[in-house]
Amino acid sequence: MQVFATYTRAAVVPLVTLALVLASWQAVTVSGLFRPDQFPTMTATLQALGTALGTEALWSAVGATLQGWAIGLLLATVLAVVIGSALAANDVAFRSAASVIELFKAIPAIAILPLVILVLGSTLDMKVFLVAFGAFWPLVIQVVYGVRSIDPTVRDTARVLGVGGVRRFLTVTIPSASPYMATGLRIASASALILSVVAELVGGAEGIGRAILFARNAGVTSYPTMYAYILVSGLLGIVLTGAFFLVEKRAMHWHESQRNAKDNELGAR
Amino acid sequence: MTQTLGAHAAGATPAGPPVLDVAGLRKVFNVGRPDERMAIDDVTFDVVKGEFVCIVGPSGAGKTTLLRCISGLSAPTRGTVQFEGTALTEVPDQLGVVFQDYGRSLFPWFTNGSNIALPLKARGVGREERTKRVNEVLTEVGLGHVEKQYPWQLSGGMQQRVAIARTLSYKPDLLLMDEPFASVDAQTRFDLEDLILEVREEAGITVVLVTHDIDEAIYLSDRIVVLSGSPSKVREIVTVPLGRDRDQVATRSSEEFLELRRHLLSLVMPH
Amino acid sequence: MTTATTGSTAAGRDGGSPGSASAGGAGVGDAVAVAVTDVPSTQVTATPGRRAAGRRNRGRNLLLALWLPVVLLVGWWFLSANSTSPYFPPLQVILQSVWDEWVIGDAKTQLWPSLRHLALGFIGGSLLGVLGGALLWRLPVLRKGTNPIVYFLYVLPAPALLPAMIALFGLGEARQVALIAFGATWPALLNTLDGMRGIDQVKFDTARAMKFSSLRTVTAVVLPGASPQIAAGLRASLQVSIILMVVSEMIAASEGIGYFILYAQTVFAIVTMWSGIVVLSVLGTLLNYLFVFAEHRLLGWYHGSRAVGTDKA
Ligand SMILES: Nc1ncnc2c1ncn2[C@@H]1O[C@H](COP(=O)(O)OP(=O)(O)OP(=O)(O)O)[C@@H](O)[C@H]1O
Ligand SMILES: [Mg+2]
Repeated sequence: MQVFATYTRAAVVPLVTLALVLASWQAVTVSGLFRPDQFPTMTATLQALGTALGTEALWSAVGATLQGWAIGLLLATVLAVVIGSALAANDVAFRSAASVIELFKAIPAIAILPLVILVLGSTLDMKVFLVAFGAFWPLVIQVVYGVRSIDPTVRDTARVLGVGGVRRFLTVTIPSASPYMATGLRIASASALILSVVAELVGGAEGIGRAILFARNAGVTSYPTMYAYILVSGLLGIVLTGAFFLVEKRAMHWHESQRNAKDNELGAR
Repeated sequence: MTQTLGAHAAGATPAGPPVLDVAGLRKVFNVGRPDERMAIDDVTFDVVKGEFVCIVGPSGAGKTTLLRCISGLSAPTRGTVQFEGTALTEVPDQLGVVFQDYGRSLFPWFTNGSNIALPLKARGVGREERTKRVNEVLTEVGLGHVEKQYPWQLSGGMQQRVAIARTLSYKPDLLLMDEPFASVDAQTRFDLEDLILEVREEAGITVVLVTHDIDEAIYLSDRIVVLSGSPSKVREIVTVPLGRDRDQVATRSSEEFLELRRHLLSLVMPH
Repeated sequence: MTTATTGSTAAGRDGGSPGSASAGGAGVGDAVAVAVTDVPSTQVTATPGRRAAGRRNRGRNLLLALWLPVVLLVGWWFLSANSTSPYFPPLQVILQSVWDEWVIGDAKTQLWPSLRHLALGFIGGSLLGVLGGALLWRLPVLRKGTNPIVYFLYVLPAPALLPAMIALFGLGEARQVALIAFGATWPALLNTLDGMRGIDQVKFDTARAMKFSSLRTVTAVVLPGASPQIAAGLRASLQVSIILMVVSEMIAASEGIGYFILYAQTVFAIVTMWSGIVVLSVLGTLLNYLFVFAEHRLLGWYHGSRAVGTDKA
C-alpha cells in the first residue's frame, strides 16, 4: 500500500504542477495581464508547437544546432584529451600550461565572437569554432587533473603487466581519468549548447537560435511560433542532458558513484 | 642457526644459476634535497630457480622499496639487480608482481576475465588462446566462472585470487609478492598460502614474497631474508629445512618450526 | 582509501543530478590535493634548510606559472608587428587603441551600464536562486512537484529567451536585468538545493542535541555545510550572467560593451573591435578571479580542510 501510494504521488505531483503552470499561463494571457505581443496564450503556443513539429524548417534548425554542438564538442574533446594527457605526463609542462589554461578558461568565449564572425562569416565553421573554443578549456583542465590523479598502484600494475604505449593509454589512463572527464564533458556540453544558440542569435548561423529571432522579426502573429521554438530549445537541452546521463551511466557503471547510485535506488524503495 | 649467505636449502632446491641476483643494493630518496632519505642501505642476496624466498623486516624497513627495485619499477641508487643474468632496466616480461592492495591493482572498469587477459593481449596472444588461458588460471587459483563479473563484485580473498591469476596468466619465471595476504581474514590467508605453494609446485615458478608475519614466512619459504630496521641491511639469511611438503597444522606445530620462530623473533625484536 | 580515489569519487559522484555544474570544482579541488600531498613528509618541524627549499620551490613554481603567458604575449607582439591582415592588427596598435579609447577616451562609459545590469541581474538572480533552493529543500512536496519544470528551465539555453524577453519587457534596462537574473537563478538554485540535501544528517542531530535555535542551525549548520556547493553554483551563475549581458547588448541595445564591440565590427573598425575584445576579456577574467578570491576568503576553512591552497579553478 505504502509503496503504491509513494509511486502514485511521485508521478502525480509533477503532473499536477505542470497542469497548474500551464493553466496559470493561460490565465495570465487570456485575462489580459500580458498582451499577445508580449506573451501569447498557452493554447496558441502549444498549437504553434504542434504545427512547427510537422515542418521541415524546425527540424533542419534543430539539426543545424545539433550539428554545431556535436562537431564543436567532439573537436574540443579530442584536442583536450590529446593535449591534456600530454601535459599531465610532464610536471614542468603542466605547471607552465596551467596558468595559460586557467586564463583562457576565465575569458568569456563570447568576447571573441565578433572576431570569429568577421573571419568565418555566418557559417557552421563559425559556430563550431566558438563551441570548440568555449568547451576546450574546462575540458582540458579536467583531463589534466584526471590523468594526474591516477592511482600510483594502477600505474605500477600496468607497468608490471607489460601493458604499455597506446594500449596503456586506452585501457588504463583513459578509464582512470574518466570520472574527471565525465564531469568536464557535462559542463562542456551545457556551455556548448548555449554557445551554439549564441552563434545563431548573434552570428546568424542556421539553427534554432536564428529561427527564434526570425520568428520574432516576423511580427506579432508569429509570436506563438517563437515561444514554441524556445520550448523546443529547452527540450533539446533535456534530450542532450538525458542522453549524456544515460551514456555516462553505461560507460561508468563500474565506478563507485554509479554502483552507490544503484544501491541507493534499491535502498530508497 | 648459522648465516648461510649464498648457500641454498639443502635438498629442497636444485642448485643452479640464480634467477635473481641482488648485490650491494642501496636506495636513497630525494637525493640532494633537504628531505633526502635513505630507505635501503646495503642489501645482497640471490634467489635460484624454483626457490621460495621470503623477505621479513620491521615496518618501514624498506621492504616495498626493495621489491620495487627488484621488479624494475624504480632504479637503485647504488648496486645492481640482475634478472636471469641481465641487469634490469625496465620491468622484464617474464616477471610477475602481486601488490598488497588488490582493491587498487585490479582495474574496476574491466571484468575479471578482461583483467586476466590484459597482459596476454599486451603479449600478442590470440583471442582463442586467451580465453583458454583465462579459464585455466581461474581453475588453477580455485575460482569458478567469475570471468564475466567485475572485481568489485567479489570478496577480498577472491579478488586477491584474481590478481594472482592475472599474474600467472603469462607464466612468469619469477613471482614477486608484496604482503599479498595482509588484508584478508585469517582463514582466507591460510587458503591463499597453500594455494601459492601449490602453484609454485605445479608451475615450477620462483617466488619472492614480502611479509610482516614471521610464521607465514617460515611456513612458505626455503630461505628467509631478514632485514634490519630502516635504513635496512640484511641481518641474516635463514635457511628453512622443512622440506617441500607443508601442512598448516602439522608444520606450524613442529619442533623445527618453533625453533625457527624463536630464532627469527630474536632477530627482528629490538635488542 | 587514498586521496586519489576520493578525488575521482567526488568528480563522478554527481551522476545525473541536474545541479552537477558544480562538480568540476570538487573534482579539480581534489586533484590539486593529490598533487600537493604527493611527497610524504616525514618531518613536521621545518628546519632552516627545509624552509629555504620551500621558498625555492615556490619561486620555481611562480616562474613556471609565469613564463608561458609572458612568452605568448611577447610572441604575439612580435609576430603581429608587421601584420597586414585586416583581421589581425599588430598588438601594439590594439593596445594603443585600448589606451586611446578606454583609458583616455570615453569608451569606458560603455562599461557602466554593462556592469550595472550585470550586478543587478547576477545578485538578484543569485538571491532568488539561493532562497528558492532553500525553499525547495525545506518543502519536499514542492520540490517533487516543480522538479521537471525547474530542470527544464535549467537546461534551457538561456540566450534563446532573449527574443521573448524583448517582447515581454521591451528594449530597456528591465529586460537586460531580467534576462541576466533569469539565467543566474537556476545554477544557483540547483546547487543550493544539492548542497543542502548533501549535509550529513549527523550534523543536524548534533545541532538538535545541543539545543540550537532554528536560526542558529541555519547559520551554524546549513549555510556552512552547503556553502562550498552554493559557491560553485554562484560561479556558474556568474559565467552565464556574463554571456547573457554581452548577448543582449549585441542583439538589442545601444550601449554597453557588447554593443560597442559588435558595432565596431559591423562598421569594420577592426582595431576598435579588438580593443573592445581585449577589455571584455580582461573584465571577464577579473570578475572570475575576483569571485574566486572572495570565495577563498569566505570558504578558507573548507579549502584548508582539504589541503587545497593553490586551487584557482
Ligand atoms: N617515494 C618515496 N619518497 C620518499 N621516501 C619514501 C618513498 N617511498 C618510501 N619512502 C620511505 O622509505 C622508507 C621505507 O618505505 P617502505 O614502504 O619500503 O617500507 P616497508 O618496509 O614496505 O613498510 P611496511 O611494512 O609498512 O609496508 C619509509 O620510511 C618511507 O617513508
Ligand atoms: Mg610495504
